[in-house]
Amino acid sequence: MKISFNDKSLQTTFEYPPESSLQEEEGEAEESEEEEQEEEEDEEEDEEGRRETPEDREVRRQLARKREVRLLRRQTKTSLEVSLLEKYPCSKFIIAIGNNAVAFVSSFIMNSGVWEEVGCAKLWNEWCRTTDTIHLSPTEAFCVFYHLKSNPSVLLCQCSCYVAEDQQFQWLEKVFGSCSRKNMQVTVLTCRHVTDYKTAESTSSLHTPFLKALKTQNFREPLCCSLLEQPNIVHDLPAAVLSYCQVWKIPAVLYLCYTDVMKLDLITVEAFKPVLSSRSLKGLVKNIPQSTEILKKLMTTNEIQSNIYT
Amino acid sequence: MASRYDRAITVFSPDGHLFQVEYAQEAVKKGSTAVGIRGTNIVVLGVEKKSVAKLQDERTVRKICALDDHVCMAFAGLTADARVVINRARVECQSHKLTVEDPVTVEYITRFIATLKQKYTQSNGRRPFGISALIVGFDDDGIPRLYQTDPSGTYHAWKANAIGRSAKTVREFLEKNYTEDAIANDNEAIKLAIRALLEVVQSGGKNIELAIIRRNQPLKMFSAKEIELQVNEIEKEKEEAERKKSKKTV
Repeated sequence: MKISFNDKSLQTTFEYPPESSLQEEEGEAEESEEEEQEEEEDEEEDEEGRRETPEDREVRRQLARKREVRLLRRQTKTSLEVSLLEKYPCSKFIIAIGNNAVAFVSSFIMNSGVWEEVGCAKLWNEWCRTTDTIHLSPTEAFCVFYHLKSNPSVLLCQCSCYVAEDQQFQWLEKVFGSCSRKNMQVTVLTCRHVTDYKTAESTSSLHTPFLKALKTQNFREPLCCSLLEQPNIVHDLPAAVLSYCQVWKIPAVLYLCYTDVMKLDLITVEAFKPVLSSRSLKGLVKNIPQSTEILKKLMTTNEIQSNIYT
Repeated sequence: MASRYDRAITVFSPDGHLFQVEYAQEAVKKGSTAVGIRGTNIVVLGVEKKSVAKLQDERTVRKICALDDHVCMAFAGLTADARVVINRARVECQSHKLTVEDPVTVEYITRFIATLKQKYTQSNGRRPFGISALIVGFDDDGIPRLYQTDPSGTYHAWKANAIGRSAKTVREFLEKNYTEDAIANDNEAIKLAIRALLEVVQSGGKNIELAIIRRNQPLKMFSAKEIELQVNEIEKEKEEAERKKSKKTV
């Protein structure tokens, strides 16, 4: 069923008209039913307004404060006064979202240079609470920002916590804010379960994990994999970042890995390897065999906890 | 398509697959490597020790288990499934001894374990056992035996085989290096097992566990020191071989 905003008979479903217009409109059964529903809703709203006490408002205020996204200076409890990219102007921003993307970035990019932590984001929602950044393990939720000591305009974000819908805008504001958007390039890495991938091909012919890319209009560089086909969509924080970059005309690309294992998994992390050949990351990666070793160590420390397989 | 034939394992897919059995074989690949070698007078089982957590008692994480005095097995896959299979096998070994007044042959107990596994691929409501096993031992006639079983319930005799995480790499190594010379004497067979494991084990001899059975002797588990000795010998031999090579090229 297609609903058109120009359809006059349905106009009333999308706005609450003033009391006076309700009395004027008569006629079709549909419209009168809708009116009755609206009248009831209006009444309910008034009642609710009457019922909302200062305590309710206080609770709502506290909840908003609890869900606030705070960007803290490195290893301290003081918030940054301006947005992160205003304080640390950047030309290259790499964002890894999700534990597999974070493991990839830890092993391949972060060990090929000296990275200094410049800040961390603290947030709370029903699905996660970020932990302190001193000892980060693959199983904890955190969101940390680093810059390369030898080239401070290269920034990196490791985000392994879930950022809820109402927090994504705050996160973007606190990170990007009103920074200079010239000469900046953003690369986002993330994972998604292959059951979210819609395709006309038979699913048994898909060789998971595989990489797909989605880019903004201003991104001109060659991609490391094929584009994400319609009708697939991107969700959560990666989508928020891409949308932000598209609106502000920042060249940005998202590399999305579809995998059948959502936990930290060696094969999924290695599926990101083609990204190392992209122009933006080439200069940052030096020692690949050593990176593979570090990755294996990361996996084993994670696996020791499990006694299922011997 | 595959997902519609996952649910009840008693269902074949249109192209003849039993997906649960195949998925069980994937579970086996998540276990650490185990290798078995059949020599002339000795059978060797080597396993990659699973790294234990700091507070965990190492003794309770064992991949090599004795089924009887003259038979032992190593497994790869789900720990709990292995425990159940081993218990049933041990009971069967004793039951056989009491009934027939003879110890089990290696083939008999392997067939028992394989039949047990097959039953679980043909009952509804149950899933297959997620383990592969390497069963070694000597029969009364003094012939060494090595058998391998897998989750589907098949079993085969092998001269040397590997199961678990890097089984493919180890098997390729064995195919290249298992010669009559390599198993000429007991020590050589033990070294072959350790060399095969060193191909895939991280951090060398510390993470290897070894067990042997010699004809008419009970199961012997190697201590960490003995394994270290063997590893050192192997490394010396490697260095010598490399020195000879470089001399030849010069």
